[in-house]
Amino acid sequence: MKKIIFIFLNLVIAISTVTAQKGIDFNKIYPSGGKLLMCVDSSAKNVYYSNVFPNQPNTSFSYLPEVNNISFQINFRKNINIEHYRYTILVDDKSIVVNKSINKAQLKDTHAGGDDEVFRSTTLGIFPIKGKIITILVYSIQTPLDIYKSVFYGKSIPKAKIKAIGKRSTIEKGVDYSYIIDPKEKIKLNLTKKDDELTIVKDRTDIDYIYYTSIKDKQTNKIISESTSWQYGSHIDETHQFSPYLKFDKSIFKKSGDYEVIIQPSAFGRYKMLPNEMEKYTARYTLSITLDEVRFTNRQMLIFGIITALLLGAIFGAAVTYIKRKASKKLAQQSKQKEIAQLQLNSVRSQLNPHFLFNALAGIQNLMNKNEIDNANRYLSKFARLTRNVLDSKELISLTKEKTLLDDYLQMEQLRFGFQYNLSASSDLDTENIEIPSMLLQPFVENAVKHGIAEKGKDGKITVSFEKQTSNLILSIQDNGKGFDTTQTYNGLGLALSKNRISLLNTIYKNTPFVLDIQSNTNGTAVTITLTEWL
Amino acid sequence: MRAVLVDDELANLENLQVLLAKNCPEVKVVAIASNIDDAFEKVNLHRPDLLFLDIQMGKTTGFDLLNKLSKKSFEVIFVTAYDNYGIQAVKFAALDYLLKPVDPDELITAVSKAEERIKGKINGEQLNFLLNQIKQTEPSIPKIALPQQHEIRYVSVDDIVRCMADNTYTFFYLSSGEKILISKPLKEYSDLLKPQGFVRAHQSHLVNPKFVKSWLKEDGGMLLMNNGDKIPVSKPNREMVKLVLGK
Repeated sequence: MKKIIFIFLNLVIAISTVTAQKGIDFNKIYPSGGKLLMCVDSSAKNVYYSNVFPNQPNTSFSYLPEVNNISFQINFRKNINIEHYRYTILVDDKSIVVNKSINKAQLKDTHAGGDDEVFRSTTLGIFPIKGKIITILVYSIQTPLDIYKSVFYGKSIPKAKIKAIGKRSTIEKGVDYSYIIDPKEKIKLNLTKKDDELTIVKDRTDIDYIYYTSIKDKQTNKIISESTSWQYGSHIDETHQFSPYLKFDKSIFKKSGDYEVIIQPSAFGRYKMLPNEMEKYTARYTLSITLDEVRFTNRQMLIFGIITALLLGAIFGAAVTYIKRKASKKLAQQSKQKEIAQLQLNSVRSQLNPHFLFNALAGIQNLMNKNEIDNANRYLSKFARLTRNVLDSKELISLTKEKTLLDDYLQMEQLRFGFQYNLSASSDLDTENIEIPSMLLQPFVENAVKHGIAEKGKDGKITVSFEKQTSNLILSIQDNGKGFDTTQTYNGLGLALSKNRISLLNTIYKNTPFVLDIQSNTNGTAVTITLTEWL
Repeated sequence: MRAVLVDDELANLENLQVLLAKNCPEVKVVAIASNIDDAFEKVNLHRPDLLFLDIQMGKTTGFDLLNKLSKKSFEVIFVTAYDNYGIQAVKFAALDYLLKPVDPDELITAVSKAEERIKGKINGEQLNFLLNQIKQTEPSIPKIALPQQHEIRYVSVDDIVRCMADNTYTFFYLSSGEKILISKPLKEYSDLLKPQGFVRAHQSHLVNPKFVKSWLKEDGGMLLMNNGDKIPVSKPNREMVKLVLGK
């Protein structure tokens, strides 16, 4: 025989088995009161018991699946008024004893739980329990509402059954419920934005309180919600009794997928009911949830947010870097090109120097030799001005200045060769403020002098004109010399250099190209430089 | 006009004397000096109306002489061989200068301008302004002298919004909203102010990028200034303007 002690918190009685002092010793100290002992036949292998249930105070439950007979003994502490106590015994729904007083004559001193305290003890009888439910109720007439209930369960615990599963939806006038009645083990449920709550209705039993319900995410195998809070009220079964139901908030479902609803007896786990044994009493339903909106946990949201931010950041960064790099590469390339063009321009300019510098010096030498001091002075300053212009790294020069320089130059050359010349700028040109690359015309003018009219003396004529043609600036140099073959390369002419220079200028002024045109025949040469859209 | 000539090369002194005698008989050379100590004494002694002053003289400069002289009751025409650093400051001060070898025509013009200034007595601050500018060792925002008919305005380059050419004249638009007309071509100020970051947007327009609000695409490109003015950008300058504004 096994002896088990049931704990009645704040209870001052103890019930004990008649026989069997051997067995399991529960050396527990209770705040007050005593113990109810049961003794079961020793053939019983497994006894499961629990006395803590949510929302179910003063209740103990023992599951005795293999026990044939059970005897009860009640023990009282010595300072207790035993005559105030009444007890009732029910077998299944049938009452065997109702509100019976303790038979004082039968009370004996005993070490009820095997501990040192001596209790006053008596037997409540021996009962067959196989296939039965025995319920013992004990109370004091001084506190008649505090009824202590002990349930001894000799039947097999029924597997829970979901009678209905439903959802609550918000509608215009409040809420509406829709249910799936007597669902199979696979339940499909579509949750929309309007749905907010899930209800699970269980079949009614006398021991609903031992069942707890958990919902597991099948994908992650994690319990997402648990409940033991069976409620009664809204759902009535065929026997006109309330069915227990549970409510779950929709928000527990973060995403669509399969979930498992598990309903099983609680607490026995603590007393080592083996998993396969437990499984016998466990009901499992698969719930396929479809959410029309994906819900994420804060953590998921955070991770998602971070990943998105990082990804966007990375893409943005990459794009910016790419664009920047491309732009800076392009810019570097452009500025490098320009730099090269500028350097080449400078070198071309400096190559132009000797041609007219030494010729000019020769002209001044000529004046000195002729003792024309005043003229020598003036031409020397002109020469200085021209030289300065060549040495200056100024890229642009005003038309006025260019005209002055050409005038200086032509005056000097006129001194040597005695030709006539004419310099003109059309009046619609703002010569003071229009700028052109410096030394652009000089080589062509020099060419006209040296190879055009040098031999013609006073009959030679050079015309230089600046004209406006719509938004183009036309610079032209004409002479009435003997002309030259424009297809030939004259190294000494500075012509090749000028052509080179113009092509370099065109790499800098891409949008306003310089067009060089040379017409030459035996009657003379006409050079035209068109600065497209320059004005 | 009584003049003192200062140059460290005797040949230059002689040249200038001959040119003055020939072209500017109204100028009487009272003394010549080939170093600044000598020049200091002679200027103090003769109190000339006009000083022809070489800028670079060995290790010293004409500015050193000016710094030594407490009273500067004379006009100065600087004479220099090449556009070196000093000439830039002279230009900012709107003072007159000649380049060697001296051109007789330019000499005549310079002398007559000096004569006008002496008569009009508008001299005064320009030399001190020049010396102050030169003294500044740290780079700072320079001021520029803008000679008007009766006065010379000294304007911080930062206060110039833009310049507009009017033939050989230039209009200065200042951040105060003022508009000043100066009788020098835009090109001259363009050369002076481009190293200060100014950009030539158009043949008639020089712009301080600091006052540019945005680039308008209308009419092939316009600069919208902070004060609402719209400045056209001519095609050849477009790339360069973009480059300068892009900075």
